[in-house]
Amino acid sequence: MRRRAALAWLLGMCVVAIVSAQEGHPLSGTWSGDWGPSTAQRTHLTVVLNWDGKTITGTINPGPNAVTIGGVLLDVTNWTVRIEADAKDAAGKTTHIAAEGRLEDLGSYHRRLTGTWTQGDVKGDFKLTRD
Amino acid sequence: MISSSRAISTALFVALAAVTLVAQRPHSNTYDETRRITVQGPVTRIEWAAPHAFLFLDVRDTTGVVRTWAVEIGDPLDLEAGGWKPTAVRLGDIVTVEGAPARGDAPQVLANAVTLRTGKRLFTTPAVRHVTAAAAPAPRWPDGQIRLGPAPGAKGYWGAPSARALVESGGIRIAMNDDGLLENLSDADRVAPFQPWSRALYLYRQRTRLKDDPLGRCMPPGGPRQFQMANGFQFVEQRDLGRILVLHGGGDRNWRIIYTDGRPQEEPAEVVQSYYGHSVGHRDGDTLVVDSIGFNERFWMSAGGLPHTEALHLVERFTRTDLNTLKYEVRVEDPRTYTRPWTGGWTVQWVPDRDLEESFCEEDVESTLR
Repeated sequence: MRRRAALAWLLGMCVVAIVSAQEGHPLSGTWSGDWGPSTAQRTHLTVVLNWDGKTITGTINPGPNAVTIGGVLLDVTNWTVRIEADAKDAAGKTTHIAAEGRLEDLGSYHRRLTGTWTQGDVKGDFKLTRD
Repeated sequence: MISSSRAISTALFVALAAVTLVAQRPHSNTYDETRRITVQGPVTRIEWAAPHAFLFLDVRDTTGVVRTWAVEIGDPLDLEAGGWKPTAVRLGDIVTVEGAPARGDAPQVLANAVTLRTGKRLFTTPAVRHVTAAAAPAPRWPDGQIRLGPAPGAKGYWGAPSARALVESGGIRIAMNDDGLLENLSDADRVAPFQPWSRALYLYRQRTRLKDDPLGRCMPPGGPRQFQMANGFQFVEQRDLGRILVLHGGGDRNWRIIYTDGRPQEEPAEVVQSYYGHSVGHRDGDTLVVDSIGFNERFWMSAGGLPHTEALHLVERFTRTDLNTLKYEVRVEDPRTYTRPWTGGWTVQWVPDRDLEESFCEEDVESTLR
């Protein structure tokens, strides 16, 4: 019964997601996914990006531990993206974040952004899907 | 339990297929109109449903294998306007079909000609849906204002736009097909004053033959596109309520409200974003001027894939120059997408003595093939 309910919920969510497509600036919106140095070590990511007509701004993990994105570059010749930000750890130490990726399935309801994520000394991959 | 889960999984698959394989996809995306094929076989099924009518044939290939082919023969509203009925062909009739094959390996063809064994050609009468009425001045209300709908006691609606895609007015014709696909991508810079990202996205949509067009998923035709739909539109002027309804004959058969009661435009931050935006209108002589904001980003505002953002601001001017002609002009302002405001427009024709006909965007028989 629980499995049936879960599948029904999944069905509903899929339909809702499909009809909620955004067709504006390719980066605008909320993206969710994770990053990590290995498949076993993953950290959840939520990235909110906005386009004001001149620059792309945004936030990583909105909430009490939010990190303001310092810069986003989108190269529309190949749809590559570079995101830069400075996070602070619990001790207040600044850790630089640099993500380089590429937009995939540009016309999809849920485009993806994948690439490499470097946070301080740790380097890994990231996968984000636009909600 | 396993069977229940399987059933639900199947339902999930079917639901996804139904949502993604619906009517009104651009022909350019479905069919390769640079190729021609001929198929022959008995008719096994007839689907006479708007917006696409289909015949199904059992076609035997060179190896003797029989496959069911779907033959798209047009919009039944056009076919019936041309004098055709579904009874023009019967189950079991052997027909020969010439037309453009579907892209990929789907057994589907867009018919240019359907011929019976007797040599009789079917469904080839040109559509006569948009017959123009005799020339006459535009009808007016008792106070002298131009009526945007029919005169009292008459019927009619607007259709047959002179352009099928929005481009910046410049007096230079840009070669494109009815889906808005450019013949030369190098003409993109003449379509609109794109920002770099929106130009790149427009070109991506063009190169992928408009495969992601939200209209193909039955999303409403927001923005100027609502006045370019194949099945037309109608104005219902509710003067006592201070508003005009725009009824759409195609798309999802929705409506739009234009408030004409003198209210000011809303603050953009206060507007609930929608496909048709928040519209207020006033008369400027014989022209209805409509200011609209509050658009969501879930639609393409024109065939061909013009992008926009939530910052889109449209000023539309509707001028009925005579009984049969409505001039439409739109000023597009979206500084997040375009480097400057720009204008475009076209004319639409009065379709006399007819009401908007039913043409829902819904799952069609194409989806049963895949």
